Formats: sequence, C-alpha cells, structure tokens
Amino acid sequence: MGTGLAIGAIFGIYSGPIETAMPRNHLASTTAACCWIPLFALRCEEARRPELTSQPSALLASDTARRLWQVSPLARRAGVKPGMTVSQAIGLCHSLRLCEPDPVHYDEQFARLLAALSEVSPVVEPAELGGAYVGTDGLGGLYGEPEGIVEEMQLRIVDCGLRIGNTGVESTIRNPQSAIRVGWGLGKFVAWVAASRAQPGGAVIVRPGDEAQFLSAQPLAVLPLDSDTHRRLRQLGLKTLGQLAALPEEAVVSQFGGAGRRLWRLAAGVAVERVVGRETPEPIVAAITFFSPVAERELLARALDQLLERALKHPRRIGWRVQVVRVRAELEHGASWLVEAILKDPSADRDRIAAPLRTRLEQAPPTGAVERLAVEFTAFAPGAADLQLFARDASAAARADRRRALRTAAREIKLRLKRSLLYHVIEVQPWSRLPERRYALIDYEP
Amino acid sequence: MNRLRIAEVEVDANGMPLIVKRESGNGKRVEAVGEMWRIDDEWWRDPIARRCYEVVLDGGGRVVLYEDLISGEWFVQKP
Repeated sequence: MGTGLAIGAIFGIYSGPIETAMPRNHLASTTAACCWIPLFALRCEEARRPELTSQPSALLASDTARRLWQVSPLARRAGVKPGMTVSQAIGLCHSLRLCEPDPVHYDEQFARLLAALSEVSPVVEPAELGGAYVGTDGLGGLYGEPEGIVEEMQLRIVDCGLRIGNTGVESTIRNPQSAIRVGWGLGKFVAWVAASRAQPGGAVIVRPGDEAQFLSAQPLAVLPLDSDTHRRLRQLGLKTLGQLAALPEEAVVSQFGGAGRRLWRLAAGVAVERVVGRETPEPIVAAITFFSPVAERELLARALDQLLERALKHPRRIGWRVQVVRVRAELEHGASWLVEAILKDPSADRDRIAAPLRTRLEQAPPTGAVERLAVEFTAFAPGAADLQLFARDASAAARADRRRALRTAAREIKLRLKRSLLYHVIEVQPWSRLPERRYALIDYEP
Repeated sequence: MNRLRIAEVEVDANGMPLIVKRESGNGKRVEAVGEMWRIDDEWWRDPIARRCYEVVLDGGGRVVLYEDLISGEWFVQKP
C-alpha cells in the first residue's frame, strides 16, 4: 500500500491495484462503498480545539516541523498550501494557527471509524488516513438498496463516538457541515470517485452499468497519476476520463506502457477491483495455574500484568490492537469470577489494557482465592501498522508517551495559572536582518 | 520572539548612545560601543530604517540598541 499511497498523494487518494484474476477470497467484495473524510487529521484537531474552526489553521508535517501537511479551507483562501514552509505560510497569512501533529491520536480516531464500518460489513479495507473501503456484496439482504447500506454505514459511524470537525458525527447524516462523504459503486475506483464527488455529509451512488457514463465527465486528476504522466496527458489535450477512454486502449498502452493500460481501464470503467478485508484473529488466551490459591490483590494484579504481557506477545496479535479483554478466574470451591473491559481506544499497550481491569479488581474482587487466572483477548481493531501513517514504530510510541506526559504537565500549568503560557518556538525567517522576524511563538498544546 | 522594547537613550554630541533607560528600572551607562550598522528595508511597503549599535552596558550586559530613523524612537533588543 505504501507505493500506492505515495502515488495517490499526488492526485487523489485512489491507489488500488487492478486485480482481475485475483484468487477467490471470502473476505472480498466487488461492490464497494468508499467512506472519505478529507483533511481527517486537521478535523481531529478541530474537534479537540474548536476555536480552530473559525481561524485559518494548518498542521505541521511530522517529519520536519517547518513544512505544512494539511491546510484548512480558510487558510487555503489566504493562499496557504500544503508543503509550504512555515515562513512562506506566515508571510501569506499572519493569523495562521499552526498545530503540532498528533499521529497517534489520529490513528486512534481512524481505528474507531474502521471499527464502526466493520459492524456493517466484515470486509473493510483502509485506504489512507480518513479513507476506507467497505465491501458490500451480499448486504442487500440486510439493508436493501445501496442507499440503505450507505445509511447504515452513516448510522454506525454516528454511534462509534468518533469526533471530527467542530461537531460530533451525531450531525453526520444529511448535514452539509459534516465532513464524511460516501460513494458507492462497482469496484473501489468508482466508489472512490463517487465519494470524492459527494457533497459534505452526502453520498453519491453509481448504479451498476452507469460506471462509464459517470466516469466520463470526471477530471483526470481522480486517476492515480504521477505529475509527469498527468502533464503528458494534458499535453495530449486530454482533460477528462471520457476523453482518455475514447482513445484506443492499445494507443494508450504504446504511449504509457503497462501503467497506461491500467489508467485506460480505470477511466473506461471496465476495471473492477475488489475490496479485500482482513480476517480478524481468533481469541488469544494466556493463563496461569497457581500452586496454591491466591487471594492477595497485589499478587493477582502482578499475575494479570504478566498474562497480558504474554498474550500481547502472541504472534496472532501482531498487527492488531486489542479492543475487548476478558479476565476469568477459577476460584476455590468451584466458583468463578469474570470481568470484561471494552477499550474505547483499542490498544497494544499493556498498561492501557490493564488499567480498567485493575479498577475492576479493586472494586469487585474475586469472592475467594484464585486457583487459575486467564486473560483472553476477544476482539481486535486493526493495528497501527495497518493504519499506514505514523504510529507504526517504537519511536512513534515513545513520542506518544512523551506527548502524554507533556499534556499532563501542560494541563497542570493551565490549572494553576489559568492559561497555558506554553509556546513553541518556530523559525519563520531565520535569514531576516530584523531579529524580531526570525522566530515566532505558536501556542503549544501537546 | 526577541520582542522590541522601547528605551530612552541619551546621546552625545555625535549621536552615540551614552545612557540607556528601559521601560522599567534605572538608566544604565554605556560602557562601550561595539559594532554599528544601518538597516534599510521594505521600502516598497512600510519602510524600515534603523541605525543599530551593539553596546556593553554598565554591569556587563550586552544589548543591541537601535534608533528608528523614521519615528526617532529608540529600542533595545537582545543581540
């Protein structure tokens, strides 16, 4: 997916391969719904800091803090664009609010979206942060026409507690302010183009057989093109998919090679690439039998930590975050004890999983000494690696920990001093001959 | 960052700073004047014209003083 995303980042987000001769997979679907939330990360920030919605704002890229990653529509109106340096952006828009990125938070929010979609269909394929495909084959029996399926998806998203933009998704359906756009069609490409053409909060449905007609008027930019191919196509006088599809397929292939065939087939609506889901792992169990029954809570808590550690190391868990965890205890005299915790934010971190279990252990401990203790992971959410952006490595996890600690410290300062008073120093015009122009302070909200 | 702070500056007959008095606190004598330079910029919008002096104050503090040649005001900045 990495390469595809890199291409997709240039024009549109679509990056799926054409897989006409794909082996049968029971977690695959030819009809697809695409759920797309443009500027997902920025909207997550707006949900946390509502004041951003009324101001021009931008997110800094996570690799280098001096280039912009996502830019709000208000900032765009002032001429600010993604990829600009901070100094260029500030020069164009003095009131621009800059935000440090919080990739772990965005991944958590995106995981919620995916979890909500997987309640509609078992076939869910993440595309990019804020975008996912849902396989809808066979859902007609449950929800009826595609409109019904789309509505069900929107309802599930409403229930999942995801917060984006300045409102909760409670206002998603038919709300023009909502950010969620949905497209439905045959194959991922048609669904993606439909979603990209949907009004905010709305849906576009392309009925089977209407693909070619729907696609013909769409601009070339919806294709997964690199800038060079896009320029060459424009030099040939081509502006729409219809114009590209009107050329003989072999002529396009002779100009652009294998990639040309792919583009032509996508443009003509003859390529139907399936949504491919992932199987959720079977429950993972780790258990310990005590030599002599244990009643002390501290010992039980320690055993719980060890079991969680073991379960997290299980090979089946790799690539997945734990959503539901259960602890079972067999007590003396044949009694038993069971607690279950559903994690609002699925996690692969032992302490985060253990926290609700420890609370239950304190509040409602087993009624007798424990002979056997078992931890069971019963539901999972796609892991950070699947969510393709940042939180895939240990350093990102470490950054997240630091950020959490900073957030706590910042909250304390705010409580004591009534306002944050924390700022981040950024270079604006380091070359300037006027010292006061070289650096700027932006609000620091870890 | 490096916010400008307005200052009162007494100058000698040649226009060189002698005593610097900031917004708060007593005036400090200028012990030595280091580099001097002039900045003229942004003539196409709000023109900027400054004459700057890097000085060492009584007590050892090093600051940059500049005279805004348009308004006649003096400011003090960190070097």
